[in-house]
Amino acid sequence: MVINLKREVSWLSAVALALVVAGCGRAPAPEPEPQPEPEPQVQPRDEAAEREAREAEERRRREEEERLRREAERRRVLSVIAERVHFDFDKSDIRPDAEEVLQRKVSLLREYPGIRLRIEGHCDERGSNEYNLALGQRRAESVRRYLMSYGIDAGRFGTISYGEERPLVDAHNEEAWAQNRRADFPITDHGRLEPQD
Amino acid sequence: MISGALALAPASISAQEPQRDSIPTDVRVGILYQPVFRPGIVMPVISAPPELRELADSVLAVILRDLDYSDRLQVMSVGEDIPLEGPVNYGLWDQLGAVWLLLGAIEGPADAPVLRLSLHDVVYRLLQDVRAFELPPIRDPAFRMTLHSAADHVVRWATSSTGIAATRIAFVDRSAGGLEIFVVDSDGFALRRLSDDSSIAYSPAWSPSGDRIAYMSYKDGDPAIYEFDVNPGTSSLLVDLPGMDMTPTYSPDGTLLGFAATVEGRTEVYSYNLAERCCATRLTYARFANSLSPSFSPDGKRFAFNSDRLGQLHIFVQDTEDGSAELITRYIYDQSVHNAAPDWSPTGDRIAFHGWVEGVPQIFTVAPDGRGLRQLTQEGRNEDPSWAPDGRHIVFASTRGGSAGLWVLDVVSGRIRRLVRSAEGRLPDWSGRLDSTFLVGGTAAAGRNRDNP
Repeated sequence: MVINLKREVSWLSAVALALVVAGCGRAPAPEPEPQPEPEPQVQPRDEAAEREAREAEERRRREEEERLRREAERRRVLSVIAERVHFDFDKSDIRPDAEEVLQRKVSLLREYPGIRLRIEGHCDERGSNEYNLALGQRRAESVRRYLMSYGIDAGRFGTISYGEERPLVDAHNEEAWAQNRRADFPITDHGRLEPQD
Repeated sequence: MISGALALAPASISAQEPQRDSIPTDVRVGILYQPVFRPGIVMPVISAPPELRELADSVLAVILRDLDYSDRLQVMSVGEDIPLEGPVNYGLWDQLGAVWLLLGAIEGPADAPVLRLSLHDVVYRLLQDVRAFELPPIRDPAFRMTLHSAADHVVRWATSSTGIAATRIAFVDRSAGGLEIFVVDSDGFALRRLSDDSSIAYSPAWSPSGDRIAYMSYKDGDPAIYEFDVNPGTSSLLVDLPGMDMTPTYSPDGTLLGFAATVEGRTEVYSYNLAERCCATRLTYARFANSLSPSFSPDGKRFAFNSDRLGQLHIFVQDTEDGSAELITRYIYDQSVHNAAPDWSPTGDRIAFHGWVEGVPQIFTVAPDGRGLRQLTQEGRNEDPSWAPDGRHIVFASTRGGSAGLWVLDVVSGRIRRLVRSAEGRLPDWSGRLDSTFLVGGTAAAGRNRDNP
């Protein structure tokens, strides 16, 4: 611990020193690695090359930052899209908690008009096998209509029901049933979320 | 909103409150079956030349089991020391308590053996009937069906009602790739997988001729109805409307396919003209509700189906041509009613379905006008009944006895037997009679006259 702390302190001071030395000619953005300043007067010809290298480094850094930002955004989008909504027993109504989840999807789907989804309706194991297919379909449709009612284009959603055949939790109790009565949202088209986009 | 889920919990805890379930008050919980007299039948060892001895023994085993499973005859075991040579000793069999004596002999060349069965009326001391059955090679799938058919003839000679041995049951079960369609003989043997879709296959339904099975499959992503041709063993797309197509059933004359499909997010019942291979006609109209699982009456003029249009799941009956749906299960205010999976009996007088009793599905039957509701099961979960062609036996999925499987119940005597042991066997559908002498066009004429009084 103590040693680590010491290292931390010495590293910070090194950064601070580097920033001070770097002076005003540089971007104020914090540098992860202190750049040892070459002696300016010894090789004047290298100054251009040096600046080029610095710029290249800067570009790489910016690109990396952009990549990280996009990756974080991508993760945010995927997690909002993947968020499940749950239903009451033998019901396909959108519950208030599901409405919150769907509102997040609405704003995201507006932000990313290229994203297309499949809405999958699922049921718990209690109802009859065949009725659960119909119920799952209604759940998927109920979600689709909710999203459409906020102006999201109907053509961006497919619906399918798996009845009770794809349980999330493979157990036979109230808790598992509550988890299994749900809609899932696999993405069928990522639109401009795609990395090469 | 959550009342449905909550209502179940107290009901299952408080067993002393029998009203808190979906059974109407005029139905007694408790299964009542009539004591039925089953005339005794005895079948001694089948006589055969030494090279056909083994064959004769397996033939005997199959036929005895079929006679037992008919639930119309009491199969009596008999010692091997009883002399069979010479004229039939009716007095002896009468003393043993038999009403019928079935004698069998296997004759002819080993590569084309013939089974000769003769049924004797022990009480009236006369030969009731006799018939020879050509036996296909033992590895041929038709071999067991020929024996089943022979057993059905014997049941008919003795009781004037044809047996149900020459039938099969199609059902859904888990396979490595997903849920597939399987078939099994009525005695629980000759189990085989039919479909190879590696996705979800559901709701098999036999065509009246027994050579095709319609079913629902997700194999191409979008759930649609396929038809499996049993003989070449190939399946082809039958109905694919936009959305989900499900719960197929053939009309008894084979001209229509009833099914359910998605309309504006809900499910409605349709019929499809099989003769013209075209034109889906919508049969139900219930906005904001689901209608599914149709099952035709024997004359095809009406159909039973399942709908949640009253906010509870119920069984309805409707004219196929036009007309409004009539509720035939009891609406019970403020309770979690879940009646599903109707199957109209081939004899027309009853509709079987499963309904919740304290949150657990049980098998019921009811007359098509909603009268005479009768509960048939009470142990474990019991679901998805399907009638045998005799209108007397029902196959269903059950967890009774601690392990799941398909079971067969004789609704007259209450006798019950396991058909298939399977954790995930479900949605069984009992075929019509598959008697090969009726099925395979060319050879059908051979024994037909004998059969029709």
